[in-house]
Parts: sequence; C-alpha cells; structure tokens
Amino acid sequence: MENQTALLKKLKDLVGEAHISTHKADLLPYMRDSYTNLMNREAALPDCVLMPRSTEEIQQIVLLANEYKVPVYPRSFGVNIAGSAIPYQGGIVLDLKAMNQIFEVNEDTLTATIEPGVCWGQLRKAARKKAMDIIPIIGPYQTSPVGNYLLTNITAYSSRYSMDRAVTLEVVLPNGEILRTGSQATEIGAEVNPYFRYSYGPDLTGLFRGSMGNYGIITKMVIRLRPLAEVEKNLYFAFKELKPALKAIQRIERLEISRTVMLQNKHFTVHCLLSPEDLKDPAAKEEALRSLPDFVLAVGIGGKARQAALYEEMLGEEIRSSGGETLSLPDAFKQSLDEVQEGAGQKILRMFAPFSGYAAVIGCVPITSAENVYRRVQEIVAKFDLKDSITDDPLQHELLVVPYDRCSSVYVEQELLYDPLDIDNMEKVKACLRECYKVIVTEYGAVHTIPNRRLLERVVPGYAAILRGIKTMVDPNGILLPGGPYSI
Amino acid sequence: MLADYKEDIYHCLKCGACRTAFQAYTPICPSGFQYGFDSYYAIGRVDLARAVLEDRLAIDAEVMRRIYSCTSCGGCDEQCNPAVGISPLRIIEAFKHQAIEKGLIPPEVRDFLKGLQVHGNPYLEPSDERGRWAEGTPLESYSDQDYLFYVGCVGSYDERGQGLARTVGELLQSGGLSFGILGNREICDGNEANRVGERGLFEFLATHNIELFRELGIRKVVALSPHGFHAMKNDYAKWDAGFEVAHYTQILQAQVRKGSLRPRNRLEVKATFHDPCFLGRHNAEFEAPRFLLKSIPGLELIEMDRNRRNSFCCGGGGGNFFTDMIGSGVRSPSRVRVREAVDTGAEVLAVACPNCRNMLEDAVKAEGLEDRLQVRDVAHLLAQAVGVRDRGHP
Ligand SMILES: Cc1cc2nc3c(=O)[nH]c(=O)nc-3n(C[C@H](O)[C@H](O)[C@H](O)COP(=O)(O)OP(=O)(O)OC[C@H]3O[C@@H](n4cnc5c(N)ncnc54)[C@H](O)[C@@H]3O)c2cc1C
Ligand code: SF4
Ligand code: SF4
Repeated sequence: MENQTALLKKLKDLVGEAHISTHKADLLPYMRDSYTNLMNREAALPDCVLMPRSTEEIQQIVLLANEYKVPVYPRSFGVNIAGSAIPYQGGIVLDLKAMNQIFEVNEDTLTATIEPGVCWGQLRKAARKKAMDIIPIIGPYQTSPVGNYLLTNITAYSSRYSMDRAVTLEVVLPNGEILRTGSQATEIGAEVNPYFRYSYGPDLTGLFRGSMGNYGIITKMVIRLRPLAEVEKNLYFAFKELKPALKAIQRIERLEISRTVMLQNKHFTVHCLLSPEDLKDPAAKEEALRSLPDFVLAVGIGGKARQAALYEEMLGEEIRSSGGETLSLPDAFKQSLDEVQEGAGQKILRMFAPFSGYAAVIGCVPITSAENVYRRVQEIVAKFDLKDSITDDPLQHELLVVPYDRCSSVYVEQELLYDPLDIDNMEKVKACLRECYKVIVTEYGAVHTIPNRRLLERVVPGYAAILRGIKTMVDPNGILLPGGPYSI
Repeated sequence: MLADYKEDIYHCLKCGACRTAFQAYTPICPSGFQYGFDSYYAIGRVDLARAVLEDRLAIDAEVMRRIYSCTSCGGCDEQCNPAVGISPLRIIEAFKHQAIEKGLIPPEVRDFLKGLQVHGNPYLEPSDERGRWAEGTPLESYSDQDYLFYVGCVGSYDERGQGLARTVGELLQSGGLSFGILGNREICDGNEANRVGERGLFEFLATHNIELFRELGIRKVVALSPHGFHAMKNDYAKWDAGFEVAHYTQILQAQVRKGSLRPRNRLEVKATFHDPCFLGRHNAEFEAPRFLLKSIPGLELIEMDRNRRNSFCCGGGGGNFFTDMIGSGVRSPSRVRVREAVDTGAEVLAVACPNCRNMLEDAVKAEGLEDRLQVRDVAHLLAQAVGVRDRGHP
C-alpha cells in the first residue's frame, strides 16, 4: 500500500495531475472489450491510467514500473477486439491517444512518421493532401496503424504491399532502454534517414509485427504510404460458387495488376450494405440478400487512365473465363462496398451488427484449402445448431478471403454473429468456436498472425524459445502486458 | 432509467467510433477531447452504465462528473448509429436521469436546478422582469398573430441574448411576419432541465407551455434558441403539443427567398459558420443559416473541417452553459473551436444560437484573438446587410 502510494505520487509528478487518474470510474472503461465479454474474462482493477505525452515520459514510467514491479498495459485506441490491451493483472494502463502527432508526410520516400495516437483516418487525411494514401486495414478509420502493426495487419492491399507497412520504429523497451529499428538505429540515421527497414542484419522492425506489444512500447513509427493514381477504381464480380471465385483470385494475382482483392460471401456483403436497423428487419435483409450473388469478388485497380482501362479489360477476361461475371450494383450499395474495399471506413463496423456479438474464426491457409475450411466451419455451425438472432433460422456465417503475397497464402476470416444478451446461445457459440479452431488448425494447418498462447504450445520448441528468450531479455521483470491470452 | 437501455448498453461494440468524426477525421466528442480518459467519451460512459447495471459501480457525484460533462451534442450518435446501431447519448441521458432520481448529482447541477425550480429561470431573476428585453422595441404582445416569437431564458435575461432577441424580432417584423411575444407570461422551455435528466421539472414546464399556448390559440412558434426549438419540436411531442415550431433562421430564409427581406448592403468579410448542435445535428437544419450568410453581398463563406453533421460542439449543451461541468482551459471545446475558426482565415465566426455565441465570444477573449476573430450571430450580420436597425450588437 505504501509502495503504491509512493509510486502514484511519482507518476503524478511525472505526467502531471491532469494526465493520471486513479478514480474507479476512469479505470473501469479499460477493463473490458468485446472479446473479454464473450470469454467472460475478468481483469483486475488497475492502479491508475496514465496519458503520457512523450517518449521520455514513457521511458520514466517504464523505469518506475520496473522499480515497483508493477505491470504496464499500453493501448493506442484499444479496439483490437481480441482482449489484448486489457489490464489482466491491474497495474498501469497507458492510454496513448494523446500522442497523436504526425511528424512528417514525405512524398519523396512515400512514408509518414507518426505517433501511436494517430488514427488511420487522420493519417489518410494528411496523406491525401499530398496526393498519397494509406495502405489501410479493411477495418475502421478510428483505430491506429501502430496498434494494427502490433496486432494483425489484415488488409485488402496484401497482394501488392504485403502485410508490412511499417518501415522503422522507435520503441521504449520494457527494461527502459530506447530501441530504434532499421536505419533509425544510428543517431544520424534517426535524424536524416529513418526510411530503410532492412539495415544492420535481422529485421528488428519485423520483430514487433504481431507482437501484441509484448516486446516494447512503440512511440514512433515510420509507415509506408502509397501514391494515389490518376484513376482509382473498384470492380465487383459475381460468383455462384466459391471454388471458381478462388480460382479467379489466383488468376488475377498472376496478372500482378490488382491493388486490392477481397472475396466475400453474401452474408458478409449484406452487412456492409444495410444499416443496423435494416439488418434487424428480416424482410429488408432478405430482399438485399436476394439481390446479391452468393459470392462477391472485389478488385481494386489504379494507374494512368490508359493503364486502368487496360487492366479492367484484362480482369474482365480472367473473371469470365473463371465462370464469374461483372456485378452491377445500385450507387448506394457500390459506395458502401467501395468504402469497405478501400479500408479505414465506417461501414465495416456493420460487419458485427445489429448486436455487436461476434466470434471470429481466423486462419491463413493455402488457397487450395480455403473452400474446405469454409465448408468445415459451415458443418460445425450446423452441428451446434447456431441460430440467427433475429429470425431463429440456422445461422449463416460471414466469410472474408484476402490473398497474401500473390496468393502464397490466403487469409480466411469467418464470423459467427450472436446477441450478447442471449447468454445460452453465447455459450453455444463459444463451444462452436473452439471446435472450429481445433478443426482448422489440426486438419488444415491454419495459422493465425498473432502469438496466441495455446498456438505457441504447438510450435517447435526453438520457435517458442526464441520468442520467450527475447521477451526475457528485454523485459526481465515481466512488466509489459502480463497475464493475457497473447502474453509471451 | 438505465435498465430501459440495457439492450443498447450490451450492444456497444467498444469500437471507439464515438471519439472521432468519420471523414473529418478529427475529434468529435468535446468532453473526451477536454479530459482524454475513456470515461469522458461515449465508449467509456456506456461502460460505466453497464457497470452500474451490474452493480460494479455505485453512482455518486464524482462518477456523475464524467457523465455531466457530456454536452448532449450528439456527435457520438452520429458516428455510432449508422455503423453500430445504438444511441450512446440516450444511455448517457438516462444515466443523468437515474442520478437525479437518486439525488446523487454534483453541486453545480443541483444549484442550477434549484435556481430553475425556485425562480423559473437559471439566472435567478424575477419572472416579472422576463419581458424587459423587449422594452423600447416595437414588438407586440401575442394576441392572435400567426406566430409566437419565443425567446427563452437566454433571450430574456442574458444581456447578449436580449440583444439577439431584439434583432431577430426587428428582422422578422421587417420581413412582414405576423407575430407576437409573451413578455412576462413566457416561461422556460425546459430543454436544459431535460438534458440534465430532471424529467419531472421538464414535464412540468413543457405541459405548462403547451397549456398556455393552447389557451392563447398559438399554432405556430418561432424560437430564438435551437435548444428551445429542439425541445418543442421533438420532446413536447409526447404531450401532443399541437403547434408547429421553426427556428428563426428558417423563417428568415423564407423571407429572403420571397424577397420580403433584401440583404443589399455589402459586407466584405470572410466568415465561417459554427453549426449549433441542436439546430444542425439534432434537427438536420444545416442550410438555412448558410443560405442567409450566402445571401449577404460580399460575404465569403469558408467551411471549417468539422461542419454540419460533424460540427464540434462549443461546450454549451447538456446544461453545461450553466453548470460548466466541462470546464475551462486551452482544451475546452469553445477555445478549440475558435482556434479552428481562425485557422480557416475567417474574420467572423457566425453562429445561430445565443448559447454558442456567448461560449465562443468568451473563448475568443480567453485566446486573445479579439483582433482576428469576431463572433456574430447570423441575425446580426443579416440585419446589417438588410439595413434593419440592429438593436443587439454592441
Ligand atoms: C469492425 C472491425 C474490423 C476490423 N478489421 C481489421 C482488419 O481488417 N485488419 C486488421 O488488422 N485489424 C482489424 N480490426 C482490428 C483492429 O481494430 C485494428 O487492427 C486496429 O488498427 C488496432 O488499432 P488500435 O489502436 O485499436 O490497437 P490497440 O487495441 O490499442 O492495440 C493492439 C495491441 O497492441 C498493444 N499496443 C497498442 N499500442 C501500443 C504501443 N504503442 N506500444 C506497444 N503496444 C501497443 C495493445 O496492448 C494491444 O495488445 C478490426 C476491428 C473492428 C472493430
Ligand atoms: S458507443 Fe457506439 S461508437 Fe462508441 S464504442 Fe460503443 S458501439 Fe462504438
Ligand atoms: S453527446 Fe457529445 S459530449 Fe456527449 S458523449 Fe456524445 S460526443 Fe461526447
């Protein structure tokens, strides 16, 4: 108790009274997210929440946390929807929203330098002023590129830009040291050339991708942008079946002309199109579903006008020879799909509507396994007799497929929606989710992009030893993000 | 009560869209911006509501500071509703109501309500002085004219509000509107009482107004303040109010359109417009004030990034104009807003609400921007352009 009082006093002196709170009402909102709601995971009440303003403040906080052996839980916007920023063991919540500066938007290097409190939308706005754009997630605008890098990096831009948008980082390690990765590693590099990732041996920037924050607190990130083309266009194609749609993705990828690629089943598409209110109306939803093909393949292209025209023609040929056809949509529908396809939109939040309850089955597999993974989840959902929360009909789950790195792998996300107020159903959803994972992991070798503890038990010992060894080295007192499902 | 909103509370995605305006990509929640912690944003307030429902948190005055600093601006609903489908503001207002019912409110709110209960207005002024604002004007008492011009507490008692009421009255008259005023017979519209959760007092005031209007045969009302306009248009409906209500910018727009008011005098000025939450976001009236500004010869209208549905509240809603639970300082919404206005290059920050005007004018002083930015109501600018005697602007 005495220790806690002393620590809190030092923290208050450090960040200033306005940027620290110990009031229960200020702490409670950091203790839950939609994942912990599903899993009923409890967190301890933190000692305090801090809103630091600078790298130096964060460094001092981390040193104090080591001195007093208190856990620290950093979060940018806390919207990981995976329970990964929750203070499972109490301690200090570091709310990084106030560190929201964009230091630079550089047309020459096609990069921006940002703090963790910068959201995708804010960065997009700054980039567009200079005829560039972000390489965003499919997800919403109000979350951060930094949190996203630490998390998963799922983007419809995967084929062209891969998963990695980070170039170099500034990080406060949990032992209090400051690390700068890539060409930032030297003083002069940090000052005039922070733009090269692959410097000085192994890729330390990459170490942080998918680390969930376990290895350090990112305080600055140089992130790739993309040039805005003269013409930017989204094309939509209809498929009756999944197999030819997947085939079409492979063929399109071989052309190496697409900017974004995303395949959806109509149960995902309908959520992007309808308002939450309409989604509650069975007749409105049924009508929209009837107007949609079973699978929608969205492809983004860009370039000079001549280039774009040619690309469109070439894509059309591939689609037709794969058994698909061009999908024409009413303007409002097209706008909504464009927003989702281009990423960092608002409509994507509807994917969990109308009740916000979801259980995500996620795995990366070779494209040849994608159909089986979908069918198996369909079978398991039927076996568990999951029901649609509005109509009580059998649940039709959502499917989203995104190819990575020219289709060497595809990201397959399937969402089981439920109403969190229906507790019995929620228990069924949980059991179904477990079985889905068991099947896709053991039968298809599906991999996730983040270090879930259970999955880490399956990897060869050396793999886990490296991840844990690094953790022990940089975080000897285990102060950063302990006790969660992704703690290393 | 909060239990009535259990579904919305449990359907919150914890997505944080309520913090940032889509497409403007700037902060949308004034209290969240001021204090930073999630408990001052809708995302956190909904969580606190859930904690109260689950007996994990007891309501007290300190907890309610987080709730009362909400200005009822509706910025969160604007982001949340089309995407997730809930209305965090309804939850927040139910929270306030629950605290009132249990008597667990901060002293600032208690004092405001006490003043309103005892004096019938938050200025603690005698009710027989309510009509003094109109002294020396040619405005008539309501008898059987087409419209009632309802000026509310700010228009009746606040010095700057009184000036605005006089100017709007003059303009309406010049435009040929048949209307009268209630003077000392007018009573508070109750909007702020409702917004702080004192639903009993609101019902008392609303039903008294409805009765009075019925007695006098009033079928149409033109309101000075967007706050009163909002209450009468939306919240009075449940008592079957039986009258129409317009905001004064809407009536003036019609008068300019049909040519009964002619803005002829040039005003060579760059102006930007601050959408009042209770006119814009809550009632979707974005164009009437802009139409009036654009009708003024020489006036160049520049938009701030946050405009229309994404306008950033001045901090004066939800009772904060009187209780100031949102607090002051460089991050206070009114100061943020005037800095934003100056950044557009505008010399005039135009408003269409007496509360916004006071909040923003005070902020201009606090920021030391008097040389660069003037806050002026659309009515004062129009009066100048039309050549109507402006009895309000100093
Ligand atoms: C509807 C919806 C759709 C989504 N779609 C996608 C998608 O398509 N692709 C995708 O990749 N994600 C998606 N997400 C997940 C998530 O919102 C994004 O990845 C987002 O960018 C995360 O940012 P954040 O600021 O909320 O991260 P946070 O939740 O704040 O952080 C993520 C993790 O990193 C840690 N952390 C955060 N900041 C720091 C820091 N500076 N230093 C150290 N550790 C830190 C946190 O403790 C946490 O473990 C989606 C979410 C929603 C609600
Ligand atoms: S209130 Fe709405 S916008 Fe805010 S977190 Fe909850 S669901 Fe998201
Ligand atoms: S109504 Fe305005 S102040 Fe209140 S929570 Fe919503 S955005 Fe914030």
